[in-house]
Amino acid sequence: MRKKIEMVLERIRACGAEYGDIRIIDTIKESITTEDQMVADIIDSRSKGVGIRVILDGSLGFAATQDLSNLAETVERAIQIAQAGRMLQKEKIVLSAKEIVQDEYQTPIEIDPFTISKEDKINLLLRAEKAMREAAKLSRTTGSMVFQRQDKIYADTEGSYIVQRLYESGAGIEAVVNSETDSQIRSYPNSSGGNHATAGYEFVESLKLVENAPRIAIEAERLINAEQCPSGHYDLIIDSSQMALQIHESIGHATELDRIFGSEAAYAGMSFLLPGTINDNFKYGSEFVTVVADATIPKGLGSFGYDDDGVKAQKTVLIDKGMLKNYQTSRDTASKIGQLSNGTNRADGWSNIPIVRMTNINLLPGSFELDELIKGIDDGFYLCTNKSWSIDDKRLNFQFSCEIAHEIKNGKLTGKIYKNPIYTGITPKFWGSCDGVGNEKHWILYGVPNCGKGQPGQVAHVGHGSAPARFRNVKVGVEDVK
Amino acid sequence: MLNKKESYAIIDKVLSYCNYYTMATLISHEEGLTRFANSEIHQNVFKSNNTLEITIHDGKKQSKNSTNILDDESLKELVRKTEQNLRFMPEGEYEIPKVTAPAEITNEEYDAELESAFGIPGRASLIKSCIESLDDDYTASGAFSLNKMVFAMGNNSGIKRFCRLDNVSFNTVITHKNGPSGYAEYATDKSADMDVTKLFNSAYSKAKAALNPESLEPGSYTVILEPLAVGDLLSYMSYCGFSAKSVDIGISFLAGKKGQQVFGENISIYDDHTDGNTFSLPFDFEGYERRKLNIIDQGVAKELAYDVRTALKEGVDTTGHGLGEASTGGFPINLIMKNGAKSLEDIIKETDNAILVTRFHYMNVVDPKKALFTALTRDGLYMVKNGQISHAVKNMRFTESMLNAFNKVTEVSKDRTKVPGFFGVSYVPALKIDDFHFTGKTE
Repeated sequence: MRKKIEMVLERIRACGAEYGDIRIIDTIKESITTEDQMVADIIDSRSKGVGIRVILDGSLGFAATQDLSNLAETVERAIQIAQAGRMLQKEKIVLSAKEIVQDEYQTPIEIDPFTISKEDKINLLLRAEKAMREAAKLSRTTGSMVFQRQDKIYADTEGSYIVQRLYESGAGIEAVVNSETDSQIRSYPNSSGGNHATAGYEFVESLKLVENAPRIAIEAERLINAEQCPSGHYDLIIDSSQMALQIHESIGHATELDRIFGSEAAYAGMSFLLPGTINDNFKYGSEFVTVVADATIPKGLGSFGYDDDGVKAQKTVLIDKGMLKNYQTSRDTASKIGQLSNGTNRADGWSNIPIVRMTNINLLPGSFELDELIKGIDDGFYLCTNKSWSIDDKRLNFQFSCEIAHEIKNGKLTGKIYKNPIYTGITPKFWGSCDGVGNEKHWILYGVPNCGKGQPGQVAHVGHGSAPARFRNVKVGVEDVK
Repeated sequence: MLNKKESYAIIDKVLSYCNYYTMATLISHEEGLTRFANSEIHQNVFKSNNTLEITIHDGKKQSKNSTNILDDESLKELVRKTEQNLRFMPEGEYEIPKVTAPAEITNEEYDAELESAFGIPGRASLIKSCIESLDDDYTASGAFSLNKMVFAMGNNSGIKRFCRLDNVSFNTVITHKNGPSGYAEYATDKSADMDVTKLFNSAYSKAKAALNPESLEPGSYTVILEPLAVGDLLSYMSYCGFSAKSVDIGISFLAGKKGQQVFGENISIYDDHTDGNTFSLPFDFEGYERRKLNIIDQGVAKELAYDVRTALKEGVDTTGHGLGEASTGGFPINLIMKNGAKSLEDIIKETDNAILVTRFHYMNVVDPKKALFTALTRDGLYMVKNGQISHAVKNMRFTESMLNAFNKVTEVSKDRTKVPGFFGVSYVPALKIDDFHFTGKTE
């Protein structure tokens, strides 16, 4: 295969292109879904193919095929596409410098998830469902597991050759209670399929699905009879899992430099930030808000050895004590602001071009115990687990709903819960209202396996770590808008 | 790109290795997409893939596997692993019946002109000529793609399915240097239908009309939703409400309402792959013939989309809307909303006070049981006063129950257009709706 790869790279060099790369990717995936204590779906899949990227006279061409016997035709197509792109080019693509490497990387795992039988996996989900059913009267229960192994070869015309094997494991459960007029859900460890990590089967075991099943079942049962969360302005503590999505939507996407330059203008949107905002001492949030893009953190779903520019995984401070410091960059976007790439250019499989994608965008832990955060609230809520999300095309106006709101009065959790809590805000104002973040003891890393961006649509697997955090005077609910 | 003969040959080969009742599905796909931003082409890509999925049944057990490596040895390995999985697979609730009829369903018609008109150089050339018409204060972004797709199916009971679905899609947002923008989008399977210049000019006009937007306070307003905005609402209603599965699991806003008046009498929604205004895949992903569904008839909830499992559970026939995943159930993909009598232009002329919405952004379901959705407006929000657009409005967020909104539709436009759905396109009119709740704004 290495000989074939070198032939492709030689053809790219011969056509006068200033850069080219080839990625051969082989992905196997196993997905198991159970529903009402029966197996609903078991889907195994394998996808293997090659993507070839060419930059010719500053113009990008990309072609991909599953037919590995036909690399010659695919490289010619990539060259032809790059030539067509020159027809409408204002600014040539320039790649920032990088280290040329020949290296290998593998996700550290303890238990290869593909060595565990489907029977064992199914049994774990069914036991978790049973535990939910025994704890409460539920209308519906579900469980899911997803495993992936991806083998990647990356080689470029500059001399880098990188081989990676990346593993992912994830699982989750849900308890649903319906009434004639309502439906309430509680999920563990997170909604939309649970939690996911670059890890082996040991990660699924560590989630303790069965042990946590009764708690969410009981909460779901209580929610169906709970009052609607009131509308107004309240102080909030937001739990780690909801914080993951809050970070994702209002910091992660907003600091992608390709989006800031307008690459996504017609589809996913742009950002309220401008290319030069990092030089303007822009206050993104309060002094409690320090956020990093960290592709090196163990188990992070956005962790890897090298990105799809062949740039080594890095940890970059995006926001330092509230002040915007850096963007997430690729080689082509970093060069536009006179920087080196911080290694976030990633493609969805072999058939797509790499674009700037979040790695693990983490809010670093603060110094607060959860009790201390709660003590600081006279009248507010502790919100847990995302249920719905929406944010505008500039990443400013967001609205989230959560599965459950725990009432806080006079510095204490009262034990009363509310259903359908919604909160809304404007990004910098919201992060500016943060006056406390939980400490390392409460910090959890969540994997988000469904981040959409790009045309053709690409799905990225990213991570977000956070402890519960406190925000002041946040708009809750929409019922008061008449 | 695989043709019918090649597709059937691969399906027959894999079926010849199977020892149990097996359904094989082959998807062959080619996509060329030219993306532009800041008035230049910045991403230009092509991809092709052929993926084979097999579902093997043994009584109430089922095992599913897919691959895009289609040589003989890989196909044998696919079957071996899939059959091996059956051994420890628990039984499901139902034995899935064999699909035995009709023997063959095909839709081989496609417009060969799409390739010649909208290939790599054709797309670049059209984008270039459009962008050259812009004033210096405006830039254009968007995507122009040519999709070629084959769906083929077969089982070892002898049935065959084949459909070729080629289409072209174009979207553009044109942005003034101060921020206001306009948008247009269209997808079609007919080359003669795709008028890129007309779409581009429409987005350009919208961008010009979007200058100097004024802020509005959140509250209840009469809105006129253009087809792109209506299509988004329809897609999400379908996602959380039009499948028998969503009713069965209790999250649909139509649960327990069959035969009841749920929307105003001027609302009729149906799903019909034979209507030439959507992309016709005449069979579902379980091999069943796709039927016409009368989902909402003059506001009354009538029919739902079934896959085979939900149908077995309720003792009815599938409607041919299966996606091939039990956890999803049936899903209508050829949605059409019945039109009214007046043109959108006339509706605007007869309106004293309303907000005209071009499209929504990042819609999501807040509460499926109430069909409560939220989204932002984007790329052209305007105030209509005394029969004409008076000025642009800054973007706003709505949070609204469709059970409220679709009972307050006062006008349905005569003209309809194809708008993007979750799969292919829907065919929808513009709507005028009273008492639509905007719950937030962006300055």
